[in-house]
Amino acid sequence: MIELRNVRKVFGSRVAVENLTLTVPRGAIFGLLGHNGAGKSTAIGMMLGQVWPTAGEVRLCGYDVTTHRAPALRRVGAIFETPAFYDYLSGWRNLQILSTYSAPTPASRIREVLDWVGLSGREHSPVRTYSHGMRTRLALAQALLPQPELLILDEPGDGLDPEGTAELRQTIRRLHRELGLTILLSSHLLPEVEQLCTRIAVLREGRLVFEGSIEETRRRTHWVRLRVNDFPRAVAGLRAAGWIHTARDDGRVALCDGIETDQITRWLVERGFAVFEIAREADSLENFYLALMNDARGS
Amino acid sequence: MNIPTGLDPGIAPTRAGAMWFLHLRNELWKLFGKKRTYIGFGMFLLAQNVMLLLFRFTRWQEQVERLLEGNGYLAQEFISALTVAVIMLIPQVVLLMPLYTTLVGGDMVAKEAEDGTLRMILSRPVSRYRLLLVKWVAGALFALLLVLVLGATALLCARIWFPWKGMFVFAPGQAFAVLPAGEGLARYILAHAFMAVNATTMFSLAFMFSCFNMKPAAATILALSYLFVNLVLEAIPFFDRFEVWLLPHHFRCWLRVFDSPIPWPEVLQSQAVLLGANLTALIIGAAAFHTRDIKS
Repeated sequence: MIELRNVRKVFGSRVAVENLTLTVPRGAIFGLLGHNGAGKSTAIGMMLGQVWPTAGEVRLCGYDVTTHRAPALRRVGAIFETPAFYDYLSGWRNLQILSTYSAPTPASRIREVLDWVGLSGREHSPVRTYSHGMRTRLALAQALLPQPELLILDEPGDGLDPEGTAELRQTIRRLHRELGLTILLSSHLLPEVEQLCTRIAVLREGRLVFEGSIEETRRRTHWVRLRVNDFPRAVAGLRAAGWIHTARDDGRVALCDGIETDQITRWLVERGFAVFEIAREADSLENFYLALMNDARGS
Repeated sequence: MNIPTGLDPGIAPTRAGAMWFLHLRNELWKLFGKKRTYIGFGMFLLAQNVMLLLFRFTRWQEQVERLLEGNGYLAQEFISALTVAVIMLIPQVVLLMPLYTTLVGGDMVAKEAEDGTLRMILSRPVSRYRLLLVKWVAGALFALLLVLVLGATALLCARIWFPWKGMFVFAPGQAFAVLPAGEGLARYILAHAFMAVNATTMFSLAFMFSCFNMKPAAATILALSYLFVNLVLEAIPFFDRFEVWLLPHHFRCWLRVFDSPIPWPEVLQSQAVLLGANLTALIIGAAAFHTRDIKS
């Protein structure tokens, strides 16, 4: 559904995206992760034909976005981190305006989508009177109007309260299940990505540092919570001995492949460390992500 | 609850022309939905009424009467609604029109980029050239409307205070004309066609800057600066020989339509220059807009 091949983007002297190759298969909920400035929004901008790639090829729905913008974007909906609208116009008028850039849209269709996102009854109020949650729903409505096959969500949960975040998660699930949409989700909310996505890609300083399934991320890293009398010295020793490959300031260490906690405990005790606690952490995307970032920083 | 399933097949892709008009309608909704669009109309009306009061209750009217009588005309026959309307137009065209047309022109693209709505639009299958052209046409329609309202309100307000008689036009170094009421009205209407081209050119300048990656205020200020630099250069005697290169020289062709006979070759030459300036601004703006990256 989305294909990026050897894509590079340079702004002045800054390389925003470097040699990015990525494939989002049809029907997937694909997570795009990375710190601020990692290149996620630039990559999404290139997918939507808003940012011109310096090199490489970006294809959506089988069409090159740079050369065949109209067919590539015909069945694509997008939502950005801060939903921007013409605040002085009503929600209805905003939808009328935005939908016509894809195709003429009948009032019945707008009404149907407004019903679906739960904005009926407020559609004729100016958007400036909408809450953040309502604006997010309006953004979703505008994205759904052209009957998309692909939905690109760039930080859609930013600024939402926990209730709003949970509602958004349910909506994304529903869109995938009931409409069969392919969804690309760029987010900082790692638990959300973990619950929703089947595959993820992680960017760091414009480079792809991981692409794979959520299952793979769970297999990759084994984090251990370690409390000893001298954590920095213990980490240095364990690293030198080849038992761990990463450590975090919050007292977590990532074990190398094949290493178990009993080996670590024995090694520490033999060298005179007082071990107060050692416990395997539940595998999570957050742990995987942080380890990946630490690895990349180390290299 | 039903899940939306798609577009009504009955109105799926229609002719490109119909889409073009829908996009133009969008731009007009956006433009005329904003309160700041109406600042220009309001200020023109205010300025006209202040000038009318001054004209009525100060020595300004006596000065005009002296000027007419000094040239052998019966002043009472020419202190009229038409005369006063033109007198009111001159300072407004020079001072206020550039301000309000460049304000709208500077907003046209840059404000949408700043607010993030441009990103929403450009995630849809619309070409940047089409979007820009539609925006320019909407802006040109605004400029036309502004001029029409300016002319109509000037005449209507003047008519409340002054009688319907012959027309006297005097602008130092530019125009001196005395016309009967009927012909004066016809020339007055014709002058507005040329004023509309002036307003569109001012708008186009700001629109061009607005297409670059800059704030709306910066685009407006750049356009105004360009116009004022032109005006200053034109006022310096050394630049007399270069006046054809300066826009204000051509902007003044609306006053030439009151000459008898109308110097059509000069008027048309100025119109050609102004149309060329519009086209150049549009092309430069389109090139800048097409090549730039739209980011949040």
